[in-house]
Amino acid sequence: MASYILRRVLLMFPTLIGVTLVVFFVMAWTPGGIGASLISNEQGMRPAERKAMEAYYRKRYGLNDHYYVQYLRWLNSVSPIGFKTSGQGFPEAWRFGLKPPDLGEAFATHRRVSEMLKDAIPITLLLECLSLPLIYGIAISTGIAAARARGKLVDVGLGFTLIGLFSLPSIWIGVLMIGFLCNDSYVHLFPSNGLHDMRSDAMTFLPNLSGGHFTRGWMLDMAWHLCLPVICLSYSGFAFLSRLQRGALLESLGQDYVRTARAKGLAERVVVFRHAFRNSLMPLITVSANILPGLIGGSIIVETIFGIQGMGKLTIDAVNSRDREVLMAVTLIASILQLFGNLISDLTYAVADPRVSYVD
Amino acid sequence: MENRFGFKDMVLATLIIVLIVVVLLGMVQLDRQWKALQSIGNKSDDQTRLLASIERTLNEGITVSNGNGLNGSQPTTQGTTSRFPKGDPFADFKEAEAHPDFARGDWLIDNATAKVKNITYPIADDLYSQWIQARVTEGLIYRDPMTLEYRPQLATDWKVSDDGMVYTFKLRKGVLFSDGVPVTADDVVFSFEYLMNPKVNCPRLRAYLENIKSVEKKGEDQVVFTMAKPYFESLDLCGTLSIIPKHIFTKYSEEDVNNNPGLLIGTGPYRMANPTGWQPGQKIELFRNDLYWGRLPTFDRCIFLEVEEEAAQETMFGNGELDIFATQPSQYERLMKDPKTTQHANHFAYDSPMNGYQYIAWNEKLKGEPTLFTSAKVRRAMTMIIDRDRICKDVYLGYAKPTSGPFAMASPQADPKIKPWPFDINAAKALLAEEGFTSRDNSGVLKDATGRELRFKLTYPSGIATYERVVLFLKDSFAKAGVIMELDPADWPLLQKKLKERDFQAITLGWGGAIESDLYQEFDSSQMQDQGDDFMSYVNPKLDQVVEKARLTVDVKKRMDLWHQAHAILHEDQPYTFLFSRMSLRLMDKRIENVKPSRIGLNYVYVYSMPCPWYVPKTMQKYKSQ
Amino acid sequence: MSIDPTALAVEGSFAPADDRASQAPSRSLIRQAYHDTLSSVGARIGLAWLFLLLFFAVFAPFLANSHPYAAKINGKWSFPAFTFLTPSDVLLLVAVAVAATLFFWRRFTFLQSIGILSGILLIAAVPVRHWVKPPDVDVLERYRDYQAQGEIQHAIYAPIPYSPQDRLRDQPDARLRPPSRKHWAGTDTNGADVFSMLLHASRIALSIGFLATAISLVIGIIYGAVMGYFVGVTDLIAMRIIEIVDSIPTLFLLIAITAFIEKRNIYVLMAVIGAISWTGYARFIRAEFFTIRKLDYVQAAVAAGLPKRIILFRHMLANALTPILVSSTFGVASAILYESILSFLGIGLVDEASWGVLLQQARAGGAGFVWWIALFPGAAIFLTVFAYNLVGEAIRDALDPKLRKRD
Repeated sequence: MASYILRRVLLMFPTLIGVTLVVFFVMAWTPGGIGASLISNEQGMRPAERKAMEAYYRKRYGLNDHYYVQYLRWLNSVSPIGFKTSGQGFPEAWRFGLKPPDLGEAFATHRRVSEMLKDAIPITLLLECLSLPLIYGIAISTGIAAARARGKLVDVGLGFTLIGLFSLPSIWIGVLMIGFLCNDSYVHLFPSNGLHDMRSDAMTFLPNLSGGHFTRGWMLDMAWHLCLPVICLSYSGFAFLSRLQRGALLESLGQDYVRTARAKGLAERVVVFRHAFRNSLMPLITVSANILPGLIGGSIIVETIFGIQGMGKLTIDAVNSRDREVLMAVTLIASILQLFGNLISDLTYAVADPRVSYVD
Repeated sequence: MENRFGFKDMVLATLIIVLIVVVLLGMVQLDRQWKALQSIGNKSDDQTRLLASIERTLNEGITVSNGNGLNGSQPTTQGTTSRFPKGDPFADFKEAEAHPDFARGDWLIDNATAKVKNITYPIADDLYSQWIQARVTEGLIYRDPMTLEYRPQLATDWKVSDDGMVYTFKLRKGVLFSDGVPVTADDVVFSFEYLMNPKVNCPRLRAYLENIKSVEKKGEDQVVFTMAKPYFESLDLCGTLSIIPKHIFTKYSEEDVNNNPGLLIGTGPYRMANPTGWQPGQKIELFRNDLYWGRLPTFDRCIFLEVEEEAAQETMFGNGELDIFATQPSQYERLMKDPKTTQHANHFAYDSPMNGYQYIAWNEKLKGEPTLFTSAKVRRAMTMIIDRDRICKDVYLGYAKPTSGPFAMASPQADPKIKPWPFDINAAKALLAEEGFTSRDNSGVLKDATGRELRFKLTYPSGIATYERVVLFLKDSFAKAGVIMELDPADWPLLQKKLKERDFQAITLGWGGAIESDLYQEFDSSQMQDQGDDFMSYVNPKLDQVVEKARLTVDVKKRMDLWHQAHAILHEDQPYTFLFSRMSLRLMDKRIENVKPSRIGLNYVYVYSMPCPWYVPKTMQKYKSQ
Repeated sequence: MSIDPTALAVEGSFAPADDRASQAPSRSLIRQAYHDTLSSVGARIGLAWLFLLLFFAVFAPFLANSHPYAAKINGKWSFPAFTFLTPSDVLLLVAVAVAATLFFWRRFTFLQSIGILSGILLIAAVPVRHWVKPPDVDVLERYRDYQAQGEIQHAIYAPIPYSPQDRLRDQPDARLRPPSRKHWAGTDTNGADVFSMLLHASRIALSIGFLATAISLVIGIIYGAVMGYFVGVTDLIAMRIIEIVDSIPTLFLLIAITAFIEKRNIYVLMAVIGAISWTGYARFIRAEFFTIRKLDYVQAAVAAGLPKRIILFRHMLANALTPILVSSTFGVASAILYESILSFLGIGLVDEASWGVLLQQARAGGAGFVWWIALFPGAAIFLTVFAYNLVGEAIRDALDPKLRKRD
């Protein structure tokens, strides 16, 4: 098993290089090039100024070199082992060795990419950490309900509704939610933008009721802002998982041990929850490793619609401003997550089912 | 698997509950500390304010005693006292202060509609960083938006040599940077020299200042600017240079400044909480500068949000989370009629020379070959095919006006006798027929004898809704006249590339305006070369001559005559189809008082550093700085 | 969403004498599955909507068009709706006519029909391109102008007399009208009829859905077969490439690639979507090859000197095609969804009536929230994706013996 994991991890490196290569060169060959994004979008710059500015940035970000040199330089700077510019890292005297990986500086904002990620990742993580339990809770309960009522109206109705939910485009739901629920002309229940009220940092952390009037407090304010994005992010996920749960539960209900349990005269409730349910959880667990990277894709849409500065918004902004370093960093993170997700789901699958051998 | 709640589970559960309780208690404790901190902060804030006001009265006393001008004996212009030989910088502000409901306090919440990346003064130069910089830094003089006269700011007086080559400024005494260090003549010299330092990444400002030959200190309180050659905007160039503190900037290397997104400190009415360490992504919040030399500004804080989405902006304005909302015409029209909005908002629609104009540039030379648009007649026909009044009415709902040339219609630069070409398809067709383009078969397209079709691609910036609507309108208009226009949307990098390589047939864009605009950059034939802005390869030696002469003429009357000539030439030639000039549409929260139109927009113009005469009456104040 | 490969077989497959043969469904089982699918209410609803959509897509120029079918202008009859048909309109009509004939004639099998159809289309393409030349300049409000000037004596109009590009320039305040009897789904920010745009957009949705899936199917099948046939190093490298594509979230990769393409039109989008979503099919075909290899009779045949190639390919094609076609139903749904997401994010189609573009107008069109622009295109996307998913589920349930009702 250890060798299997090692092999898989080693195989990740060529994959990661391939992924970054694809994204890098798609960007490099785009008409207009990467360098054009360095200049601010202001018009009315004089030609001399424009040239000077472009030259400055091209030099600063090394865009005058050939693309493959640029790619290798990028690869070297993100990898923890490589050529070093100064004496940091592990064998300090050497020019080659362990060093802190460096994601570079964003072209459009001239900020360190690692700092931008530090701001964005917790927000996306928060969204997902709130969505996941919601997804699983609803998926499992509806899945069980549907499986128990198999063939009955509840099952058919639930099945129909869930496929419907699964098919609902989140772009539509997001637009409708903002249009109808955050709009003074209709119902104004929720805020439409961002994660915090403007005055939130003058708020106390917890809600309080001082002086007779109620203030939300920082935490409640954030929860209020999070409602719609989390709903938007989770509904299609639970629709999918619920179908999965139903199928798995039906399968284990058909197994011999369940029949035995029934034959023993155990109550149906006990049969379902004690025996069948536990064994039906397996597909959900194996899928879970893939849900997280999937949610990153979803967060692109949700964060764009709701104006939340997370990873998804970062991606879209980077794409729009052709910010190579940011996009490469996001690609790298998304791919690593996905690869480990795949590995974990394969492992759990193998652990759960001894028939599966560790062969690729 | 045993499913019993065992001892171990109980211990675990207890631990978790204890942990949660501890965290909750911790939060409560933190909240209480936070409140205590706030009240301490308030008290110390009050004290600083008291100190500052004492200091200010002292300063004003000093200014009075020293307040004789450079040319002291000269009779002063109307309404000035001996303290203010060139006008009172706070005349409008004092007028506002005289209102019975005038009060200081409250916050002004504005929106930068884009993420602000950098606010460091000489480095960042996009529009929104200019907004922020203009409140924090100041120049020697500023232009009064009501009269367009210059008024003193950090200088108390100034003198222009007769040939317009030497400008002498007398500095105000007792002005402090927001960190408490006094401003000296050295700082002024440094401010110029720093921008001219090639290591500092501000090529744009530098190119602008290249007309100034030198800045020298003359005594402790005077600085002398010497120009390299006469230029009609010299006074503006010298006087509005923002003054930055030498003692701060010399602390950092040029590279550090280039790389610091948040280094912003000056003498202005507002200051950053951390003048050297703002980072993009952080809130942009300006605090009142309690050490300000002039009248204490009205708002406690100025906040710039960074909401890009139009819909979100609208919602936020509707909720009162935003005080100033720059709207699109359709939003404006709708919100103006919406009782809910009008209850809490005032609306302003105004022209400003700063708004510039939109145009279509016709490329006269594509890959070395002359194009369809090399002929001035074709270009004029193109202009006449477009019903610009209809665009203004349909797309901009009447909040735009057709223009006849590159100058704002109300500006003295424009010749009022020149009217925009009328919308007249038949006249246009006649012009095209003169050039040989007629309908020759049933395809509906106009062709000349060689079979060359009147067909072109219009390049335009993608992703902007109003642009798209204008372009679709153009397409339909041209189709009606038998000209095929294809759409060629391009995002900004691609657009840049096309302009640089002159690889387009026609392009529609806009230029920003200025109080007095210079035509050299866009129309002079020398700008054809080397990625200049004459990207449509337009050449007219007569125009070159006129523009060159106008730039060197300091006398206003003569210069305006020259601009009128240039206007006429451009009108005949139509290197651009001058489309229209848009109005600014603002919705503003009702609690903000004393907002008035001026000759360049409103009585407070964001990009210039000037005292803000707006205020919120005490009863209406919403945000309290605790 | 895995499909159990053992559950299916297609008519025409040679019956192998292996342990799977006993499970392999016979011809009647397929027919049974067909009936099961059709008897499911969901599938019926889904199919009904899809056929309606197909009808809209094919006949869009006749359902919503500013050009009248026939008009008598100044005493002369003309047929503008027909003269303005584009070559692709004509080809589409030909294709539908041929397909309908083949379907009702019932002489050929499914695969043969597809072959005949594509053959006829290829042959027809040349003369159609040559002969069908609509006028270049199209002034859509022309007929209303004539009408107003009394120059039209008789005219027969389409049920919705507005083309999607007809921005009603002749009417002063045509913009943003709410739904009414005249404009069933209102007008958009430019004044174009939303219902007409929705109708024409169904063409884009369906063609992107079908063609992108077809592209990914072709790539996936060929790629998977190559991988499964040449085991070893080829397989290892090929698997890495699959992993590369799989290890970037699809939407992310799609955005990253599409955003950097200069000329974005419907064909580019099809190609990109197709080129990204083939990995599932390739993996499936590869797995199918691996299973077949292990079968006793295949090994016996190989040992007996029969060409391995033929055995492997025939068996693979016979067994894998149906499940793959079933799963491609979901592929169509997701391709439609991807197109609308890209257009919605502003990196999709330009100047074409697509559901996603319309929905984007509702969000960032500068007109605030206009409910009819937000509601209808979104509903169209939803219904179409829903229909595909319903049909796909029904087919899958019908074909999956494990889920077949035992009680």
